[in-house]
Amino acid sequence: MRRAGYLSIVAVGAAATLALGACSSSGGSSGSSSSPKTFGVNATGTVHFWARQATDGPAKALVKEFNATHKKLKVVLHLTPPNDDTSQLATAIRAGSPPDVVGLNDIDVPTFSHENALMDLTQYVNALPYKSALSPGHLRLATIGSKYYGVPYLADLSVLWYNKKLFSEAGLNPNDPPTNYAEIMTDAKKISALGHGIYGFSFAGNCQGCLGFTMLPSLWANGVHMISGALGNQTANVASDAPLKTMLADYRTLWANKEVPVNDQTQNGLTWGADFEAGKVGILPGDYGFATAMKDPSEFADAPLPGVTGSSYSTFDGGDDFVIPAGASNPSGAWEFIKWVLEPAQQVQYPSLGDTPIRTDILTPSFAAKNPYDAVALKALAKGSVEYTLAYDAVYNEPGSPWFKMFEDAVYSGNLSAGISEGQSGIQSTLQQVKS
Amino acid sequence: MAATEAPGRAAPGGRAGAGRLRPRRRSAADRRDARAGLALTAPAVLLVGVFALFPLGFGVYISLTNWPLVGAYHFVGLSNYTGLIHNSVFLQSILFTLKYTAIVTIPIFVVGYALAVFVRSNRRGTTLFRTLIFLPYIVGLVAESFMAVVELQPSSGTANFVLSRLHLVTDTTAWTVHTGLATTAICILVIWFASGLTMMLLMAGMQGIPTDIYESARVDGASWWSAERRITLPLLRRSIALSLIISVVGSFLAFNQFFIITDGGPGTSTESVVMSIFQTAFADTDVGLASAMSVVLVIVVGLITFIQFHYLQRDTD
Repeated sequence: MRRAGYLSIVAVGAAATLALGACSSSGGSSGSSSSPKTFGVNATGTVHFWARQATDGPAKALVKEFNATHKKLKVVLHLTPPNDDTSQLATAIRAGSPPDVVGLNDIDVPTFSHENALMDLTQYVNALPYKSALSPGHLRLATIGSKYYGVPYLADLSVLWYNKKLFSEAGLNPNDPPTNYAEIMTDAKKISALGHGIYGFSFAGNCQGCLGFTMLPSLWANGVHMISGALGNQTANVASDAPLKTMLADYRTLWANKEVPVNDQTQNGLTWGADFEAGKVGILPGDYGFATAMKDPSEFADAPLPGVTGSSYSTFDGGDDFVIPAGASNPSGAWEFIKWVLEPAQQVQYPSLGDTPIRTDILTPSFAAKNPYDAVALKALAKGSVEYTLAYDAVYNEPGSPWFKMFEDAVYSGNLSAGISEGQSGIQSTLQQVKS
Repeated sequence: MAATEAPGRAAPGGRAGAGRLRPRRRSAADRRDARAGLALTAPAVLLVGVFALFPLGFGVYISLTNWPLVGAYHFVGLSNYTGLIHNSVFLQSILFTLKYTAIVTIPIFVVGYALAVFVRSNRRGTTLFRTLIFLPYIVGLVAESFMAVVELQPSSGTANFVLSRLHLVTDTTAWTVHTGLATTAICILVIWFASGLTMMLLMAGMQGIPTDIYESARVDGASWWSAERRITLPLLRRSIALSLIISVVGSFLAFNQFFIITDGGPGTSTESVVMSIFQTAFADTDVGLASAMSVVLVIVVGLITFIQFHYLQRDTD
């Protein structure tokens, strides 16, 4: 059959690539000794830049602009497909021909930095005058001890979208979005009561990554992380996580009371947010990137993702870090390009390209006036966080992940206690398997 | 050629005759033939060696290490293999793949055979039918799997729209997140997709059967069913075996439809073996373990293919 042939070709090709890679030197971790004064200054030649298709907006626009304004240094963009970005990079590193700079999903940076596959950028990051304004969460993922193996590139943040028109119709104040889960529940109920195919709330119920992206910040806002401890000795904090129990119970109530669209159970992220953009949903924890489809600011607005209780907020520090693989042929050119991208003139272009600037000092009154949706996300960036672990994909993003199994048990099956119990043991066991 | 042929070489008598012959000296022409044969097969042998055997051997080597996606590795002996015995996700994926293969193989064959009977003659319009039936295979399983995702949506998909009017399901049935429903939907999709190929293989075989055999049978008073059973099926053995081998191996290596439609869920209940290998290599970043799983899969598929070839050989001798 054709798929059998296809898979055979892929397997053979991958194995051959690995084989060839094994025959060549893979290069070790190489901290450059060049001075920050000369490194990344007046570089020449070509820089091969790999960016993810998922965040290709800034990459495409900025590479074009950079090449138009820099005659001696050319950046060549290569977009890596979803689900394949880390394997392509790993193959290139093993083959001894890595790109010069990569816009790597920040969650994946520890996997590469802990294997000495990335260049030590500590002295260059420390020399950046705006270092303190860089997203702390993104920088944390690129940090081992006191060393930096990457620098924040772009932010893909989670926010709470709400429909002001539906809020008004339901008798709610359209300028008073919910600030905790109790308020979300009350507002969702009132909006669902409007009927006629209108739902109070919506979530991507078959998209493991989307659920982590939108639910974890509400726990972080309450000061709770599901994974804690140093790498190599991490533990799962699920059974004792009161905000998590409350949140899962609330999701169960929303599902059981049919205050969310029935399609949510099969929403795998491909059309996530479409029902909200169509004006059928009152509240949607989602991606700031939805903003490009929100044509009417008088109807749609965003707010920070609230904590489960209280009035604090947070966001998921998603997006990319710039990393320079060890053995890159033009690291100086790569750093010059990175510095240029991080300048305010380029950062302020991000909102129109579907992402959020990575520097908190970009949030000025004029920026907020021009980009009201992104101002909310950028404000939350300072309080954003991540789960720092090598097992993020295995715990949260995989289809059979313990996180998702817990969600299914608690929300769809209504078995909260069993879900929590299984979540605790499943996450702990996964952490031990991946040796995080 | 005839002038240089030795008696034993072309003798139709088989082993008994060959056993009585004395070894003969190879002529210059024989050596020329041998050289030509070597030269002609060398590119294929080289390709197989470089792109199949060497990577396979290297894969076996990786399976004996703790090879991560990036970084250093070391030799771990057979621990990846012994660990598989207790790897519940891998064992479950094998069991699921076996079930899936068992479910789809016979329907693909039966539907493909029926369609081949339907389009094997050169009546007017059969070319159109052949094209339409083969079209799903040409379009490809990836595109069709995405179509299935859309059509299986609760409330908005065509599947529920039609089946709910027949009172078989409700309008809100979520096909892709229930193991049984998702497996059923995927099996139907794959039968629709793969039957066209089976039809083409069997139809080609059927058209190779001389028509005078059927005419003789008809003169002798054989019914259509009798001719089908006593002439078509026996003479079609090679084509049937080929289509079954392709179908079984393809089912064992299934990936796209599960990856796109269910992502292996709910949980890992619809995770095929190849999907399990993919997750282990690229999500868990454990390429060594994934290679061990791949080697086991290669052995299993090789064994099944060997058994099928063995029966084919026996039946056609």
